[in-house]
Amino acid sequence: MAEGFSGYAEVKGFTFAERASDRDPRALGWATLFAKGERKLGDSRFTASARAEEISSRERGPLVFDPADRDARRTPVSVRDLWMRLPLTSSVDLQLGRFELGWGKTDGYSPADAFLPRDLSDPFADEKLPLWAARLSGQRGPLRVEAVACPVTTPWRLPVLGGRNAPLSTGLPIGKVGIEDKENAPPRDGFGALRLLATFGNWDLGVWGRFGVRPAPLLVFRTDLASLGPSGPTVPVERRYAREQGAGVEVSLVAGSWVLRGETAALFSGDPGLGNALVGTLSAERGFGDGTLLVTLAGNAKDTPVDATFLFDRALLPVLIVAWNRTEAWGNWKVVWTEALKHGDGLLKAEVGYNATDFWSLTLGGELPYGSEKGPLGALHAARRAHLALRRSW
Amino acid sequence: MTVKHPGSRIALAVAALSLLLVGRADAAGDARKLLIEAENRHRTRTLQYSGELTVVNKDGKVRKKGWKSFREGYAGDAKDLVRFTDPPEVKGVGFLSLARPGKPADQWLYLPSMKRERRIASQDRDASFVGTDFNYEDMEEFDHKKYEVESKGEQLQDGHPCYVIEARPDVNGGKSVYEKKILYLRKDILYLVREDLHRKGEKEPGKRLLLSDIRNIEGHWVAMRLEMTDLKKGSRTTVFMKEIVFDRPQPAGRFTLRNLNREGGE
Repeated sequence: MAEGFSGYAEVKGFTFAERASDRDPRALGWATLFAKGERKLGDSRFTASARAEEISSRERGPLVFDPADRDARRTPVSVRDLWMRLPLTSSVDLQLGRFELGWGKTDGYSPADAFLPRDLSDPFADEKLPLWAARLSGQRGPLRVEAVACPVTTPWRLPVLGGRNAPLSTGLPIGKVGIEDKENAPPRDGFGALRLLATFGNWDLGVWGRFGVRPAPLLVFRTDLASLGPSGPTVPVERRYAREQGAGVEVSLVAGSWVLRGETAALFSGDPGLGNALVGTLSAERGFGDGTLLVTLAGNAKDTPVDATFLFDRALLPVLIVAWNRTEAWGNWKVVWTEALKHGDGLLKAEVGYNATDFWSLTLGGELPYGSEKGPLGALHAARRAHLALRRSW
Repeated sequence: MTVKHPGSRIALAVAALSLLLVGRADAAGDARKLLIEAENRHRTRTLQYSGELTVVNKDGKVRKKGWKSFREGYAGDAKDLVRFTDPPEVKGVGFLSLARPGKPADQWLYLPSMKRERRIASQDRDASFVGTDFNYEDMEEFDHKKYEVESKGEQLQDGHPCYVIEARPDVNGGKSVYEKKILYLRKDILYLVREDLHRKGEKEPGKRLLLSDIRNIEGHWVAMRLEMTDLKKGSRTTVFMKEIVFDRPQPAGRFTLRNLNREGGE
């Protein structure tokens, strides 16, 4: 387990129902090559992985040296893992380098994960970005502790603003008014975070706190700098990164066949464009045969001081997420329904995976955003699509 | 013709009932003694092995998986950690089970894609364990203290005389996905070689576990081959055990949530 090479090669094709503008293609291709090496030396562990991609769309950036994934677009080659883990004592580890982090208990949306960087180049995939950090983790009896120091901000990667994948319900007639996605350098500072967890019988309890730079940007639409070009008016959009402090509580309980989870986070910022937030989630999960049904409710009890669209990550709340996945003898399938309760817009996703062998798999899926175009999901109506992917793993 | 007094009939019935109850008590007592003896004989401090697992579905399609398994304690006080090593789709998936006296074990599954563990609800243990014919409850070792047991005589299994014991989950032992288990203990070594598993409402067993290729390693009897058949679905999962080591001290902290969440950990 501790040593070896693994990875996959995947080709994926998308076809779209419509175009938001002339610059959006009807179909696009996405090829990925991922390789990972793992090695154990004594009690220490080393892991390195890299990804090479070719995307036939504007989501792909130029081949630049971008070790922390801070560039606005995905670079064709990126480092996903480069870390070592050293046991300091029998119950305390130190992990150093570049790695992905997952904190939240609530699937679908978790306030504890909100400070972690995400890559929304494909907004329906919504993958985590790794970060450069030091992580100390330990356990004593039922109590677990985890401390993370991330010295540099890895900002959320947003879809091309003004494209079909950006859920911007700004009121601007997208397609008629061009949006110029300005390249703003993100700040250098990162964040620090501490988490305490304990398990008592059927209960899991946790508290966490963090401070530093919030990786999700605030969008600043510079209508004062709008210009009129040959293709019509263009509004530049800048990105700003605020500092934010937060504290959260998480509780989960095994109640018969259900696992119930609740999380809440109080987030504070002196930035007038961000303000404070009180984000909460409730979820219930139950297994049915070889599958799981998950229902999650998420919301923000405080109004944002600006249009939530400009905060991007908070635009979606409050929201209801229902996800059902199941493993079959031939593969697996999942159906996800997301309803953004504020505007009555939503998203239906479905995916079927067929495992031809242990190493070859074929996936067919589709995403159907619907409803009011004033909502963040309804604004994605031009991104309705079907996709087909072929993967070879090793 | 002899006319029996009604009182003698009652006495006969009471006597017959008493005999039946005594017989049942003896059957239960014998079965319990056998299970206690079996547990005492086969208890080891720790066990670790590599497993090669083959799943054959009803259409004959074959899937293979590899894992490493670590155990400390035994039956009612067992701590288990399983880490899948291949194929790529399950590599790094981890499973931690911590036995609790009189209750279902605490169980968690670590999924590398999520970078965190998921708790398995105690009544959700009929779900397939990582696409195999084992469910989460099957991953626990049999703990006789959580069952009402009764002897059901003797029977041959693979040519070996076996004690047959019926085990029904005790209400105080926590809920089980099974209504009853029929256990076959080899008489000569008191080793469990077969389990017929009846889900709720099933007259015939829905699943069957066969343990075979039994060898003596380091003074301990161990089945090198375990085969779980889902008699309704028509699929079966076979585990071949390799590199078995008994009583090797396990590192402190191996059977913890912190370790389960360590990517690539063992």
